[in-house]
Amino acid sequence: MIANLVGRMAMRPAASAIVIALLSGCLYPARAQTSSKKRVEAFAKLPDWTGIWELDAFVGQADGQQFSAEGQRKLKEYAAAMRPSFIPEYQAKYNEIRKKVEAAIAADPDHPPVTHEPLCAPPPFPATSTPGMYQWRVTPEETTFISTVGAVRHIYTDGRSHPPNDELWPTLMGDSIGHWEGDTLVVDTIATRKRFYMGELSGFFVPASDQLHFTERIRMVDHDRMQIDYTVEDPLALTKPIHTTITHTRVTDFNRMVEETDCEQNERDPVVDGRFRTVVH
Amino acid sequence: MTRVNKTIAVLIGVGVMLAANSAFAHHSRSMFDQTKQITLTGAVKEFQWTNPHCWIQVLVPDPNNAQAAPVEWGVEMGAPVELMRKGWKPGSLKPGDEVTIVVNPLRDGQHGGLVLSVTGPDGKIIGRPAEGIK
Repeated sequence: MIANLVGRMAMRPAASAIVIALLSGCLYPARAQTSSKKRVEAFAKLPDWTGIWELDAFVGQADGQQFSAEGQRKLKEYAAAMRPSFIPEYQAKYNEIRKKVEAAIAADPDHPPVTHEPLCAPPPFPATSTPGMYQWRVTPEETTFISTVGAVRHIYTDGRSHPPNDELWPTLMGDSIGHWEGDTLVVDTIATRKRFYMGELSGFFVPASDQLHFTERIRMVDHDRMQIDYTVEDPLALTKPIHTTITHTRVTDFNRMVEETDCEQNERDPVVDGRFRTVVH
Repeated sequence: MTRVNKTIAVLIGVGVMLAANSAFAHHSRSMFDQTKQITLTGAVKEFQWTNPHCWIQVLVPDPNNAQAAPVEWGVEMGAPVELMRKGWKPGSLKPGDEVTIVVNPLRDGQHGGLVLSVTGPDGKIIGRPAEGIK
């Protein structure tokens, strides 16, 4: 049959091109071209968040990681805005955690206890206020957040829902789905690990229920600033939602992402019996 | 007020804010006494351009006894990429370079500290010193 087709092709060049395409599977690129066009159109509707970013509080940080006066002011502002208001049961849990931390500090103030974890693993959700630099990869199907301290968040914008409850379990970044409202990405996150609660801002292991739910509204407010509005809801643990806003600023003094999480290379502040022990030699 | 009680009072008073500061680095900084500054002048033994922190090992002679062996101090800085953003490079310091380093010393009396500023052999500050350093 093929020989027959080839024979006819010699007489009909146009038809022969189609047959060759069919035989070699080359009709796929034609379909892909149509699909690519739609995808290019979908990309064109998305905002341009390219570049490298950092939390504004880190701008001006010194060699020894001391914050600038302006950075300190911003940190205080952020921390105050996210102070939780617990129902009595969770306030008691929080007090207990805090009491333990304070007792541990009092017992040996020279060697601070570990009050948050993990130390050299990727930071927990939301991971948007840790040290280092960040990138946002915006595609029609997903926006990915990447940081130099090892965080990767996948925010699905393809219209999917969260997985059913029997397919969810608490993870470092939880499960995030999002949608676009103009140039604002609205992100809904559940199933974060319980002990993390805007961990890098709150510092402690703050108690939360399995109803913990985050909404983020992320947008570029101008060429050099991204703004993230958070709403933290936990109807079982909080008397009211927490609302806070942080700002990322564009990094202009460096142009590449370099992974910083390799703590094993030269860990000289090891944790021994739950406390930091500095190794000076 | 003893040092212990002062620490507790600060934690209770400033609450989440203080915890936030300790949580922003890969470890707490409260092992360093941030109320004290020590100036170390000596020769670089080794500049460690490493994660999670860069370190300078510096040999500090005893100013009161020239015959005594110098004391080795280990002083901590940020991660390499963050230092590079502030003007440092892996070759910014070499063994034998005479440097002056201001640090917050470790509370526990070991010869270690957190860098506040580093002045190189040419008398110029390298990188970005902490604000308000004396």
